[in-house]
Amino acid sequence: MGNWQTQPLTLPSVLAMVLGAVIVLVLALGVVTYTIYVQRKLLGWMQLRIGPNRVGPLGLFQTIADIIKLLIKEDVVPASADRPLFLLAPVLAFVPSFLVLAVVPFSAHHVFTANLSIGVLFYLAVSAITIHGVMLAGWASNNKYALIGGMRSAAQMLSYEIPLGLSLVGVVLMAGSLNLNDIVLAQQHSGWWNVIPQILGFLVFLVASTAELNRTPFDLPEAESELVAGYHVEYSGFRFAFFMLTEYVYLFAMAGLCATLFLGGWSGPWLPGWLWFAIKVVLFIFFQFWLQATLPRMRVDQLMTFSWKVLLPVSLVNLVLTGFIKAFW
Amino acid sequence: MSGPLIAFYVIALCVLSCAVLLLSARRVIHMALSVGGVFIGCAALYLLLDAEFVGVAQILIYAGAITILILFAIMLTNHEAQEPPFRWNVRNVLSALGCLLLCAVILLSIRRTAWPVPDASVDINGGNSNPVAIGMALFKQYAIPFELVSLLLIVALVGAVLLARSRKEDE
Repeated sequence: MGNWQTQPLTLPSVLAMVLGAVIVLVLALGVVTYTIYVQRKLLGWMQLRIGPNRVGPLGLFQTIADIIKLLIKEDVVPASADRPLFLLAPVLAFVPSFLVLAVVPFSAHHVFTANLSIGVLFYLAVSAITIHGVMLAGWASNNKYALIGGMRSAAQMLSYEIPLGLSLVGVVLMAGSLNLNDIVLAQQHSGWWNVIPQILGFLVFLVASTAELNRTPFDLPEAESELVAGYHVEYSGFRFAFFMLTEYVYLFAMAGLCATLFLGGWSGPWLPGWLWFAIKVVLFIFFQFWLQATLPRMRVDQLMTFSWKVLLPVSLVNLVLTGFIKAFW
Repeated sequence: MSGPLIAFYVIALCVLSCAVLLLSARRVIHMALSVGGVFIGCAALYLLLDAEFVGVAQILIYAGAITILILFAIMLTNHEAQEPPFRWNVRNVLSALGCLLLCAVILLSIRRTAWPVPDASVDINGGNSNPVAIGMALFKQYAIPFELVSLLLIVALVGAVLLARSRKEDE
């Protein structure tokens, strides 16, 4: 597709940009739809239930029916809510989640991937914008549960972003580049995936990314039993759908990031690159649902101490070790 | 018209409208959000100038961390703060005149300066990618100033902790 900044702006190049964005959006929506279906089926299987099985063969159209239901629901805005912020918050939460997909290399010939020289940093920076959406949603709802949920979510995502970022620095040191494509190539060149030399960083990444995604051991922002549903308690209809969409697009994007940084991205023997990438992404997503069915929720007072007193030192140790090995070996 | 030029005008319009929104908003939290918009617009301008690292760092630090910090501060303190409605009095008229004068001075000096024309054949990154070039400059050429700045930050951090502590003991 080339670099649009150096190309003259013509109708075909504009069309190509729009088309690329639409294709990635449709891909993300499709993945999200069936991630939700697989999640419900898997949880059902692990809890000895059947799961959705009524809409379509094997319940395959269940999520589509749910989406249609959400879209045609009445759009409720609470009377005492801060109206402009209430309307803006879902947008503010969703846009970054879609933006980060721009740097994830889906396949070897990265058709829809921006070849940014600072890809890793771009992911971290843009995904932090979602915290604004979540926090403002909690604030604008004018509801105590929503406010507590929003604040908790912001505090949690901010403090887990630091070990997440530091665990990525080890990978960046190994590859000598912040570009996600270069990191995949470096793993292919060295012959082993980063998950082996960077096992400590990988473990920190797994924990911190689960917390970033607000998934089960760390799903305190939406703890049903104490906060009703957290920051989106006042939202309904398609605005609520936007928050759900954000969550699952991030799950997809984080799975892509994990596959790219630690599992060799699209590289692998025999199979085509996009299939390898898909397999690794599915593994990560499966792991998240497995955790969800297995683990209880953490207590809120353990959450912060765990991030600052356990994950942060471990990721720093990993960073120093990687630097040592890189310098003397 | 080329792509970057169109992008520049669109981004500039966004930044300016966010800045106007910041000044005209009555609730503090709306102001904080429009500051975030200005920061993101500036980051987009940096990206447009091929300064990728600076642009993303701007998003990470200003649009991400600092705006969140402002939001937290507003939410934890007085959350219903509103500005009184605007009124034309002597002070406001004088400051408006001052602003217009400043604007004229800045515009005049910008128009009269002969700007250096960039030489497209010279790669300022020296053939490296953008973050590599910045790393080279920071850790080789400017290593000591860089360390001194980090020392300054630590002093500020420790100072802030100390200030917050002593106030708590007084109560």
